[in-house]
Amino acid sequence: MDPKIAQLVAEMPADLRAPAPAAADTGLQEMLAALAHRPAPASRLLRMWCLGSLQAKVAAAYLVAWVRGGFADEERKTRLKSEAHLKAALQLLGSMGYLRGALMKAGQTLASYPQVAPREFVDTLQALHFEAPPMHYSLVREHLRNSLGGDPEELFARFDTTAFAAASLGQVHRARLKTGEEVAVKVQYPNMARTIRADFANARALFQPMRFLKDWANLMENCAEIERVFLLETDYRNELRNAEKVRALVADLDEIVVPRMFPDFSTEHVLTMELLAGQHPAQFMASSPDQSACDRHGTQIWRVYSRLLSAGRTFHADPNPGNYLCLPDGRLGLLDFGCVRECDESEWELMLLGMRAFAQGGNTLREAIQRSALLSDEELAEEGRMALLESVCEWGWLPLRADEPFDFGDPEYLEKGVRIMGDLLRHRYTRTCPIFTWMNRVDYGLRAILFQLKARVNVCRIGDEEWKRAGFEME
Amino acid sequence: MRITAEVKRETRERILAAARKLFGTRGYAQTSTRDLALEASIATGTLFNYFPSKEALAMTLIEAGLIKGDEGYLERRRGGEDLGEDLFAHIAAGLRELESYRPFLGEVIETALSPFSRSSVTQKGEDVRVRHLDRVARILDKHGLRDALGFVSIHLYWTLYLGVLAFWSKDDSPAQADTLVVLDESLQLYVTSIERAEAETVDSKAVDSETM
Repeated sequence: MDPKIAQLVAEMPADLRAPAPAAADTGLQEMLAALAHRPAPASRLLRMWCLGSLQAKVAAAYLVAWVRGGFADEERKTRLKSEAHLKAALQLLGSMGYLRGALMKAGQTLASYPQVAPREFVDTLQALHFEAPPMHYSLVREHLRNSLGGDPEELFARFDTTAFAAASLGQVHRARLKTGEEVAVKVQYPNMARTIRADFANARALFQPMRFLKDWANLMENCAEIERVFLLETDYRNELRNAEKVRALVADLDEIVVPRMFPDFSTEHVLTMELLAGQHPAQFMASSPDQSACDRHGTQIWRVYSRLLSAGRTFHADPNPGNYLCLPDGRLGLLDFGCVRECDESEWELMLLGMRAFAQGGNTLREAIQRSALLSDEELAEEGRMALLESVCEWGWLPLRADEPFDFGDPEYLEKGVRIMGDLLRHRYTRTCPIFTWMNRVDYGLRAILFQLKARVNVCRIGDEEWKRAGFEME
Repeated sequence: MRITAEVKRETRERILAAARKLFGTRGYAQTSTRDLALEASIATGTLFNYFPSKEALAMTLIEAGLIKGDEGYLERRRGGEDLGEDLFAHIAAGLRELESYRPFLGEVIETALSPFSRSSVTQKGEDVRVRHLDRVARILDKHGLRDALGFVSIHLYWTLYLGVLAFWSKDDSPAQADTLVVLDESLQLYVTSIERAEAETVDSKAVDSETM
C-alpha cells in the first residue's frame, strides 16, 4: 500500500477504519438515539461546519473502502463497498437529521430514486420520510401553548405525547378534539424558517466558485424560487388553504380523500386535520398486495396529478411517498399540501406550449424547449444539446404515448430517465425556468413512487379525460 | 400608631403592584424607588421598611413567579421524561410565570443575578438561586445522578440558565420560539457533559476497586 494512503487510513476515526455490518446497525440506533430531541441549529457558521464535516466523513468512508477494496477478493470487495455505502448513509443521515430543513428535503428526494443511489443509501434515507428525530413532549407542549394559546391537555380531549409520524418540517401527534373527532396535529420544529434561510445562504456560499459561469444568474433565480416555496411551506396556514383548494378540485373523485382541516386548531406552526388510517406505499407494498390494488393506487395518484394541473393550474411540487396513504377501503388519502405550486399566466402559457409540443413535435417542440430551457438561437443550433433535451421530453412523454396501461414498475424506464438526467447534469444543461425545475422534480418523483408501487397506469386515458374535462382538446 | 399585620400585607402588595406596573411601562432602570413609593402612595422611607432595595423588590416578584412555575412543573410532570426533558419542563414552567416580567427581566438579571455582581447580589437573588438549584438537584437525583451537582456542574448549569433567561428577555422571534431551541440545545449540552462526567467517575471507581 502507498505509505501516504496507509498513513491517511491510520489517521481515520476508528469507526471508519474498521466498518462492520453489526457495528453499523448499532451505529444507526445510537445515532438515531443521539439525534432525538435535538432542534435544528440555526447558526450559519455551525451549519457550515456541519456540512464540511459531513463531506469529510462521506469521503473518508469511500476512501477507506477504496483502499481496502484494492487488496480484497471480489466477494470481500462487494461486502466492503456495501459497508462503505451504509457507513456513508449513516453519516449523511446523522448530519441531515441534525440539520433538517432543506437538507432533509434533499435527502428525501434522493431516497425517492431507488435506481440512482446505492440500495444501502436508499434503505437508510427512506427512514427520513417517516422517522425523523422527534421533539420531546415538553418542547411540543410549550410550542403548542405559544401557538394555540393553551396546553394540549386543555385544548384537546386527548393528546398523544409521542409523535406517530415525522415530516421534513415537523412531527405529527394523534389527538381527539373535545367535539369527538380523531385528528392528526402537525407541529413544526421551532426555528424552521430561519433554518431554511441558513441552508440557502450556505448553498449560495458553496456555489460561489461557479459565479463566473454564464448560467450563474439562472442558478440564483432557481435558488431563490426554491427558497421562496420552501419558506411558504413553513406557514401551515398556507398549507391549510392549499388543502381546501385541492379538496374543491377533487370533490367529485370518490376514490380520493382529502382530510378535513380544523382552522380553529391551526396556526402558522400547527396544523390540525382529520386522522386518516392507512399505509404509506412502502408499508402497502410490504403487505404483498395484488397487482390490481397497486394499479388502482397508481391510477389514483396520476388522476390527482392530472386533475390539479388541468383544472387548477397547480401541482404538488414535493411528491414523496409520505404524502400518500393507501386506505383499507381502496381509496387514496392525500396528506401534505405544503409544497403546492400554482402556475402564473406566463408559466401556464408555457405549459400549454409543452402540451402542443407533445402532440405536434417538430418546430413546436423546438420552440417549447428553447423557451423552457432559456436557449439562445446559437444554443438551439447545438445538435447534441437539442438531442439530449428532446430525449428528456420523450422519456417523460413515453407513458402518455401508450394508449394502454404503462408499466411504471419496469426498472429500465426509471433507470433510463436517471441516465438522461445524469447526462444533462454532466453537460451542465441545467438552465431552466423555475417552473420547470419543479416540473422535473414532479416528473421524476411521481415516476419513482409509481415504480415503488409497481403500478400499471393508463396515463394516456386519464390525461385525455382530465384535460377534456377542463375544456382542453388534445390536438 | 400600631400598624396591623393586615395593613402591612396590603402595603406590601401595593408596592409589588406598583413595581409590576412601572417596571413594565417605564423600564426597570428608569424606575426609581421614589417613583415606586409615589405610585404606591407611601413615603419613600416607608418603602425601605418593606424592601431593602429596588433589586430586592424585583427579585421578590421573580421569586414568586418561579415558585408558581415550580408548582406548575410538578403538576404537569408525567414521570417518563428523560433528564433533558425534565430540566426543560422545569425551566419552561418558570418562563411561563415570568412572561409579564420579560420586558425588564434582562436588567434585573444584570444587577441581581449576574455572576459578576456577587458583592451586590441581594439575599432574594441568592434565595432564588438556591431554590432553583435545589429543584435541579432533586431532578438529577431522580435520574440517578445524585452526585453530579459539583461546583463545576453548578456553575455550568447556572451560566446556561442565566443565558437562556437573557436570550428570552430579548427574543423577538414569533412567540419566542427561538428561546425554546436555545433552551433545549443548552440543556442537551449540559446533560451530555454531566452524563459523561458521571460515566468517567464510575469507570475510575471501577479501576480503583480493581487495583485495591
